[in-house]
Amino acid sequence: MAPVLISALEADYILKGIDDNLRADGRGRLDYREVILETGLITQAHGSARCRLGEGTDVLVGVKVDIGTVDIDGTEEEVATVKAKRGRVVCNVECSPIASQQFAGRGADDINNELTQMMSRVLNGPQGGLNLEKLCIIPGKACWIVYIDALVLDYAGNIVDTMFMTTRAALFNTQVPKAIIHDLGDGEVEFDLSEDVEEWERIEGWEHVPISVTLNKIGSRHIVDATPLEELTTEAKLHVMVNRNGKICGIQKSGSGSIEHSLLNEMVQEEYDINEKRMRNKPVEKLGFFAAT
Amino acid sequence: MVDRRRIQGPEVSVAPIIIKSADKRTCLKDEHSRRRDGRNLEDICPIFLKTGLISQANGSAFIEIRRTKIACGVYGPRQTKIPSFSGKGNLNVEIKFAPFSCQKRRQPYRDAQEKDLSQLVIEALVPSIRLDLLPKSTIDIYITVLENDGTASCLAAAITCASVAVADAGIEMLDLVPASSASYIGGEIYMDSDLAEEQHETGYLILSYMPSLKEVTHILQSGDVDLALTTQAIEQCTDACSKIYSVMINSLLLPIRDTQ
Repeated sequence: MAPVLISALEADYILKGIDDNLRADGRGRLDYREVILETGLITQAHGSARCRLGEGTDVLVGVKVDIGTVDIDGTEEEVATVKAKRGRVVCNVECSPIASQQFAGRGADDINNELTQMMSRVLNGPQGGLNLEKLCIIPGKACWIVYIDALVLDYAGNIVDTMFMTTRAALFNTQVPKAIIHDLGDGEVEFDLSEDVEEWERIEGWEHVPISVTLNKIGSRHIVDATPLEELTTEAKLHVMVNRNGKICGIQKSGSGSIEHSLLNEMVQEEYDINEKRMRNKPVEKLGFFAAT
Repeated sequence: MVDRRRIQGPEVSVAPIIIKSADKRTCLKDEHSRRRDGRNLEDICPIFLKTGLISQANGSAFIEIRRTKIACGVYGPRQTKIPSFSGKGNLNVEIKFAPFSCQKRRQPYRDAQEKDLSQLVIEALVPSIRLDLLPKSTIDIYITVLENDGTASCLAAAITCASVAVADAGIEMLDLVPASSASYIGGEIYMDSDLAEEQHETGYLILSYMPSLKEVTHILQSGDVDLALTTQAIEQCTDACSKIYSVMINSLLLPIRDTQ
């Protein structure tokens, strides 16, 4: 059960440990827990992935693509013409009550909303990496809508990073059905979906989807990948999302503390460096070894 | 049964797409790098900030930046409705966009985006308010956006306005929290962008900063930007916040000066 209160003594113990670069589980300040990533678990979804971080945090992401209409009303003409040729991404994050007792009933509403909006901000738009133009079927009328649904199954700290990693893996795994367009003449266009599963294509742009690094500010130091107890002693968190090309796709601070100005620049730089390294060394593992433990 | 007595409108209705005349392409800056309203890229807009707008509230403020108009009312500290004891005060922010404030009509009820923005304002203001002096109490901040001229600059203005309103309510604070925003357009940083500029942006940055303590209380960035540009934008926003700070102090001193 994730704790919601922490004693001053415990908090002090964590603080002093972090000062000496030795955390409660033996990690250094910038060490991540072991990542187990598995894709293609859910046959009904067009793409899926599950990630376990250490013994704790477990996030499952399912991607389904559906046909929908293009949403262009209320915008200027220039913007509308661009939007007419694009697909859409709709994100939803849900922290299941089985993950932690604090998520029971309406307890998870706020955190669900916050995580959903965070993911939407990053994935919707060119910084999200996906080739939205490729998702258009008939310009102005029909397009593919990519529904990304994340389910947090177990909470042991650091949901945001796990969420983005799993989403990237799930998008890697996503296959979009092929749409065959029939031109009926007179400007009338119709489309059909190909029955042949072999013709389904992998969604384009998955490798440019960003991942995030969360730095937790504790005392005058910062750590990555916090456990629940460490999260309780955190004053402020800074999430930085970086993509494969080294571009920053989003920055968001959360938590009720503040960050010194000089420290902010340092943290962003450090997260950027960490992100770069992780992008290089961690190709998405296609085959899963069963994450049963 | 088909109703033949009335003329039925179409079942599905959508908002119109505004078609511009063919020759008028929006040009965001001219040869001298001046924007459409005559500002430079790094200039922020003049701010009108006044307190004491709402008679019923403990503290209130009204901010007007270009066409953005935001009113904020603070009620508190008052007794908290949460049954469990908490040693620190509780901050509750509700931000609401008036249905007529944006280009597309907004629903009268609170939607997910407003809840998220409320959470952002809370995170920006909490570090500055001495909530530890107000156990078992709640401070309610209600922000109404009357006209929205760019979402990023609107949110920044809301944080600034709320901070002044809390100070106007006489609640003890560590520092005022000005906030500023910037847009990334074509590899350049446009400070305090309006709606037209926002349509062309590839990203935005909102930063709220406590100038006396030199601490950033909130940062939010979206879009595809490289690190160097981000760092520069953070610098520019911090400088802008220092300028806005003096405007905030002035607006709080004004009613006191008048009575002397």
